[in-house]
Amino acid sequence: MKTIFIEGLIACAVFITVASVLGMMRMKDPYQRMHYISPPASVSAILITIAIFLQQGMKPESFKAVFITLVLIGMNTVVTHAAARAFRIAETRNWRPQDGEEVPIHRPDEPVERKEAA
Amino acid sequence: MNIWEIAAEVMIFTLVPLAWTTMRGDARHRLVSFLMAGVVITLLLMLLTMAFNRMPMMDVAITLALMSFGGGIVFARFFERHLP
Repeated sequence: MKTIFIEGLIACAVFITVASVLGMMRMKDPYQRMHYISPPASVSAILITIAIFLQQGMKPESFKAVFITLVLIGMNTVVTHAAARAFRIAETRNWRPQDGEEVPIHRPDEPVERKEAA
Repeated sequence: MNIWEIAAEVMIFTLVPLAWTTMRGDARHRLVSFLMAGVVITLLLMLLTMAFNRMPMMDVAITLALMSFGGGIVFARFFERHLP
Protein backbone atom coordinates (compact mmCIF):
# COMPACT_ATOMS: atom_id res chain seq x y z
CA MET A 1 0.00 0.00 0.00
CA LYS A 2 2.81 2.37 0.91
CA THR A 3 4.59 1.57 -2.38
CA ILE A 4 1.47 2.40 -4.39
CA PHE A 5 1.12 5.69 -2.51
CA ILE A 6 4.77 6.56 -3.19
CA GLU A 7 4.36 5.70 -6.87
CA GLY A 8 1.23 7.87 -7.06
CA LEU A 9 3.06 10.82 -5.51
CA ILE A 10 5.99 10.47 -7.90
CA ALA A 11 3.67 10.11 -10.90
CA CYS A 12 1.78 13.28 -9.91
CA ALA A 13 5.05 15.19 -9.45
CA VAL A 14 6.33 14.13 -12.86
CA PHE A 15 2.99 14.88 -14.53
CA ILE A 16 2.89 18.39 -13.04
CA THR A 17 6.46 19.06 -14.18
CA VAL A 18 5.87 17.80 -17.73
CA ALA A 19 2.58 19.70 -18.01
CA SER A 20 4.24 22.89 -16.76
CA VAL A 21 7.08 22.62 -19.27
CA LEU A 22 4.64 21.99 -22.12
CA GLY A 23 2.43 24.86 -20.95
CA MET A 24 5.45 27.11 -20.80
CA MET A 25 6.32 26.22 -24.40
CA ARG A 26 2.77 27.13 -25.40
CA MET A 27 2.98 30.69 -24.05
CA LYS A 28 4.48 33.43 -26.20
CA ASP A 29 5.04 36.14 -23.61
CA PRO A 30 7.88 35.81 -21.05
CA TYR A 31 5.65 37.22 -18.29
CA GLN A 32 3.13 34.45 -18.97
CA ARG A 33 5.87 31.83 -19.18
CA MET A 34 7.15 32.74 -15.71
CA HIS A 35 3.97 31.52 -14.08
CA TYR A 36 4.73 27.96 -15.16
CA ILE A 37 7.91 27.79 -13.05
CA SER A 38 5.89 27.79 -9.86
CA PRO A 39 4.07 24.37 -10.02
CA PRO A 40 7.25 22.25 -10.29
CA ALA A 41 9.08 24.42 -7.74
CA SER A 42 6.32 24.12 -5.16
CA VAL A 43 3.89 21.22 -5.75
CA SER A 44 6.24 18.74 -7.44
CA ALA A 45 9.00 19.36 -4.90
CA ILE A 46 6.57 18.84 -2.00
CA LEU A 47 5.22 15.60 -3.51
CA ILE A 48 8.73 14.21 -4.09
CA THR A 49 9.72 15.16 -0.53
CA ILE A 50 6.69 13.35 0.91
CA ALA A 51 7.58 10.30 -1.20
CA ILE A 52 11.18 10.40 0.08
CA PHE A 53 9.91 10.66 3.67
CA LEU A 54 7.62 7.66 3.15
CA GLN A 55 10.39 5.56 1.67
CA GLN A 56 13.32 6.58 3.85
CA GLY A 57 11.69 7.62 7.11
CA MET A 58 13.44 10.04 9.47
CA LYS A 59 16.83 9.96 7.76
CA PRO A 60 19.17 12.88 6.97
CA GLU A 61 18.34 12.70 3.25
CA SER A 62 14.66 13.25 4.05
CA PHE A 63 15.48 16.48 5.85
CA LYS A 64 17.78 17.49 3.01
CA ALA A 65 14.81 17.05 0.68
CA VAL A 66 12.76 19.32 2.95
CA PHE A 67 15.53 21.92 2.82
CA ILE A 68 15.64 21.71 -1.00
CA THR A 69 11.87 22.18 -1.16
CA LEU A 70 12.03 25.24 1.09
CA VAL A 71 14.88 26.69 -1.00
CA LEU A 72 12.96 26.06 -4.23
CA ILE A 73 9.77 27.67 -2.94
CA GLY A 74 11.62 30.69 -1.57
CA MET A 75 13.91 30.95 -4.58
CA ASN A 76 11.07 30.76 -7.08
CA THR A 77 9.17 33.68 -5.62
CA VAL A 78 12.20 35.95 -5.33
CA VAL A 79 13.86 35.11 -8.65
CA THR A 80 10.61 35.27 -10.64
CA HIS A 81 9.82 38.69 -9.22
CA ALA A 82 13.38 39.90 -9.82
CA ALA A 83 13.34 38.68 -13.43
CA ALA A 84 9.93 40.21 -14.19
CA ARG A 85 11.03 43.47 -12.61
CA ALA A 86 14.22 43.42 -14.69
CA PHE A 87 12.27 42.87 -17.92
CA ARG A 88 9.92 45.68 -17.05
CA ILE A 89 12.76 48.09 -16.20
CA ALA A 90 14.53 47.19 -19.44
CA GLU A 91 11.34 48.03 -21.34
CA THR A 92 10.17 51.19 -19.59
CA ARG A 93 13.00 52.26 -17.20
CA ASN A 94 10.46 52.25 -14.37
CA TRP A 95 8.81 49.04 -13.30
CA ARG A 96 5.80 50.67 -11.65
CA PRO A 97 2.70 51.29 -13.83
CA GLN A 98 2.78 54.68 -15.49
CA ASP A 99 -0.05 57.20 -15.27
CA GLY A 100 -3.04 55.94 -17.22
CA GLU A 101 -1.47 52.54 -17.90
CA GLU A 102 -3.79 49.59 -17.52
CA VAL A 103 -2.89 46.70 -15.23
CA PRO A 104 -2.67 43.91 -16.37
CA ILE A 105 -0.49 45.21 -19.16
CA HIS A 106 -1.34 43.83 -22.60
CA ARG A 107 1.22 42.21 -24.85
CA PRO A 108 2.32 44.43 -27.74
CA ASP A 109 0.90 41.99 -30.33
CA GLU A 110 -2.26 41.21 -28.37
CA PRO A 111 -5.50 42.63 -29.85
CA VAL A 112 -7.08 45.00 -27.33
CA GLU A 113 -10.85 45.27 -27.22
CA ARG A 114 -11.89 48.89 -27.22
CA LYS A 115 -14.86 49.83 -25.08
CA GLU A 116 -17.31 52.02 -26.85
CA ALA A 117 -18.37 55.16 -25.06
CA ALA A 118 -21.87 54.90 -23.65
CA MET B 1 13.86 -0.49 -12.78
CA ASN B 2 11.99 1.23 -9.96
CA ILE B 3 9.55 4.14 -10.00
CA TRP B 4 12.30 6.65 -9.19
CA GLU B 5 14.29 5.68 -12.29
CA ILE B 6 11.20 5.79 -14.52
CA ALA B 7 10.29 9.22 -13.15
CA ALA B 8 13.84 10.48 -13.69
CA GLU B 9 13.86 9.21 -17.27
CA VAL B 10 10.55 10.90 -18.05
CA MET B 11 11.71 14.13 -16.46
CA ILE B 12 14.97 14.13 -18.45
CA PHE B 13 12.92 14.53 -21.65
CA THR B 14 11.46 17.79 -20.37
CA LEU B 15 14.95 19.23 -20.62
CA VAL B 16 14.90 18.94 -24.43
CA PRO B 17 12.36 21.74 -25.07
CA LEU B 18 13.91 23.79 -22.27
CA ALA B 19 17.36 23.47 -23.83
CA TRP B 20 15.88 24.43 -27.20
CA THR B 21 14.27 27.61 -25.87
CA THR B 22 17.34 28.44 -23.77
CA MET B 23 19.44 28.50 -26.93
CA ARG B 24 17.13 30.50 -29.20
CA GLY B 25 14.73 33.42 -29.03
CA ASP B 26 15.25 36.71 -27.27
CA ALA B 27 17.05 37.12 -23.96
CA ARG B 28 13.89 37.24 -21.83
CA HIS B 29 12.63 33.89 -23.12
CA ARG B 30 16.04 32.36 -22.62
CA LEU B 31 16.26 33.54 -19.01
CA VAL B 32 12.81 32.15 -18.16
CA SER B 33 13.71 28.78 -19.70
CA PHE B 34 16.99 28.82 -17.79
CA LEU B 35 15.15 29.38 -14.49
CA MET B 36 12.75 26.55 -15.28
CA ALA B 37 15.64 24.25 -16.20
CA GLY B 38 17.26 24.94 -12.82
CA VAL B 39 14.12 23.82 -10.99
CA VAL B 40 13.65 20.73 -13.18
CA ILE B 41 17.27 19.61 -12.82
CA THR B 42 17.09 20.04 -9.04
CA LEU B 43 14.04 17.78 -8.91
CA LEU B 44 15.78 15.38 -11.30
CA LEU B 45 18.79 15.13 -8.99
CA MET B 46 16.47 14.32 -6.07
CA LEU B 47 14.89 11.53 -8.12
CA LEU B 48 18.26 10.18 -9.27
CA THR B 49 19.53 10.16 -5.68
CA MET B 50 16.66 7.89 -4.70
CA ALA B 51 16.87 5.84 -7.91
CA PHE B 52 20.54 4.93 -7.44
CA ASN B 53 20.31 4.87 -3.64
CA ARG B 54 23.33 7.17 -3.35
CA MET B 55 22.22 9.46 -0.56
CA PRO B 56 25.23 11.83 -0.57
CA MET B 57 24.09 12.92 -4.05
CA MET B 58 21.31 14.86 -2.32
CA ASP B 59 24.00 17.44 -1.47
CA VAL B 60 24.44 18.09 -5.19
CA ALA B 61 20.73 18.92 -5.45
CA ILE B 62 21.04 21.30 -2.46
CA THR B 63 24.04 22.99 -4.07
CA LEU B 64 22.27 23.38 -7.40
CA ALA B 65 19.14 24.81 -5.75
CA LEU B 66 21.22 27.42 -3.92
CA MET B 67 23.43 28.22 -6.92
CA SER B 68 20.54 28.61 -9.35
CA PHE B 69 18.99 31.09 -6.88
CA GLY B 70 22.16 33.19 -6.99
CA GLY B 71 22.49 32.76 -10.75
CA GLY B 72 18.92 33.86 -11.38
CA ILE B 73 19.35 37.00 -9.27
CA VAL B 74 22.63 37.89 -11.00
CA PHE B 75 21.09 37.41 -14.47
CA ALA B 76 18.07 39.50 -13.47
CA ARG B 77 20.29 42.36 -12.27
CA PHE B 78 22.36 42.12 -15.44
CA PHE B 79 19.27 42.27 -17.67
CA GLU B 80 17.90 45.16 -15.67
CA ARG B 81 20.93 47.26 -16.54
CA HIS B 82 22.03 45.98 -19.94
CA LEU B 83 19.03 44.46 -21.74
CA PRO B 84 18.31 46.69 -24.77
